[in-house]
Amino acid sequence: MNCEQFQEILPHIIDDGGQDGDAEARTHADACPACGDLVRDLRHIAEQAPLLLPMHDPSPRVWSNIQQSLISEGLIRGDRTPGLASTGSANTGPASVIALPQRPRAWTPLGSIMATAAVLLLGVLLFNYRPKPAAGLKASDPASADEQLIRQVSSKDPSVGKAYEESMKQVNSYIADAEKAVKNDGNDSVANEQLMDAYQQKAMLYEMATARSQE
Amino acid sequence: MTNLTRTAYMAALLVVGANLAAAGATRQSRLNLGPGAVLTVVTSGGSVSLHPGTEQQVIVNSTTHSDRVEADVHATPDGKRGEVVTHVLSQQGASADDLRVDYDIAVPPGISVTLSTATAPITVQGVSGDISISSDTGQITVRQISKSHLHVRGVTAPVTLTDVIGTHVDITSTGGAVQLTQVSGPTVEVRTASGRITYNGDFAGGGHYLLSTHDAPIDVFMPAFASVDLTARSSTGAVDPPELPLEKKEHTNVLPAPGRSFTGTSHSGSASVELHSYSGRIRIKKQP
Repeated sequence: MNCEQFQEILPHIIDDGGQDGDAEARTHADACPACGDLVRDLRHIAEQAPLLLPMHDPSPRVWSNIQQSLISEGLIRGDRTPGLASTGSANTGPASVIALPQRPRAWTPLGSIMATAAVLLLGVLLFNYRPKPAAGLKASDPASADEQLIRQVSSKDPSVGKAYEESMKQVNSYIADAEKAVKNDGNDSVANEQLMDAYQQKAMLYEMATARSQE
Repeated sequence: MTNLTRTAYMAALLVVGANLAAAGATRQSRLNLGPGAVLTVVTSGGSVSLHPGTEQQVIVNSTTHSDRVEADVHATPDGKRGEVVTHVLSQQGASADDLRVDYDIAVPPGISVTLSTATAPITVQGVSGDISISSDTGQITVRQISKSHLHVRGVTAPVTLTDVIGTHVDITSTGGAVQLTQVSGPTVEVRTASGRITYNGDFAGGGHYLLSTHDAPIDVFMPAFASVDLTARSSTGAVDPPELPLEKKEHTNVLPAPGRSFTGTSHSGSASVELHSYSGRIRIKKQP
């Protein structure tokens, strides 16, 4: 028996508590450290899962949300979820593998494992979720905002735009140096003052350029 | 000459005459503003000259150089606010010279003035009210101001102040050089990013002086009788040893860094002088 064949019958082994798993599977689990560890981990989770579960069944909406999340993340397909099928009478349609209304009142060990794993997985997914910035928010990038401002001034008077462009470079360089100085010594009052000055210079450029482009 | 030809000839003469009149045409406007009123001047090119008036009215002489531009001059009925604004009528095909307006403005005492230009040089002389000046590239020159508030902002505009006494001075310039000659007051603060700062004076009357820059030099020329409590400090640039006898301070907030900082006093140390740079060289020299 190889690992793939072993993992196919793994749910039965866990469900039965390993009592009536066939000898071939037990031999493989003893011989293969990866599969052996997997069995031990799953049994441990199965033992701990009932302690984590509430006394009352979770709302059907929870199951529905879990399923939707797993489908939307591409972790499961909507039409086939073998592991979860055991929690219900299944097979009523392609997307209703989890037959919520007909769930049994008690949790099977495998069900507990999968439910716990799903909740944990969902938690991890939510924890790591970082919304992608919208494409239209380019102006939040300071360099792009600077360029936009310079373009506005240049459209009125290219020579003045050039002055702003040069000044913007100088101010950005000032900010970078002042930040470096503050990083070196946060208690350095002169460095802190210069950092504030540098930012005020930038604010002044923005204010003046905005006023100029509105004239 | 037929009647038709004569009419066309006359019309052409009229158009040329009108254009000539518009080009270089000077118009005088008078504004009735009360004491404490604010006069705002906004223009792009040309020039602005501000000086004290002998009458109780603000007198605005505006010279346009084409018919593509006009000067709008008006005041609110209550006399608390006046505006002088250059209005571009047609920018299409106009040269920078066409859009110039030269202003000569006489201001009675007690009126605050706010000036904003793009390229127009600004000259302010002898005005008594508070003054706020903003210019992108036009030279800013201020002379003979006393006991006032002067607020200056520039992008690359050079700034020159001469004989500004007892005045709160606040100058922020990114790239323009700032030159102060005989400037004193309760607070005199100059901040630049890359504009050279030159102070030539005696820091009279005490007060607090701050000259700060990123990477431009700071040069201070002062007489031996100047009474200062001086701190010079550069993060990465050099601070030259002063040419004047200044007594080194034993206790100071600035950590001593050889060649990069200096603290000292002369006489009673009436004026507090702080010179700060990130990388610009700082020099304190004896006034010739």
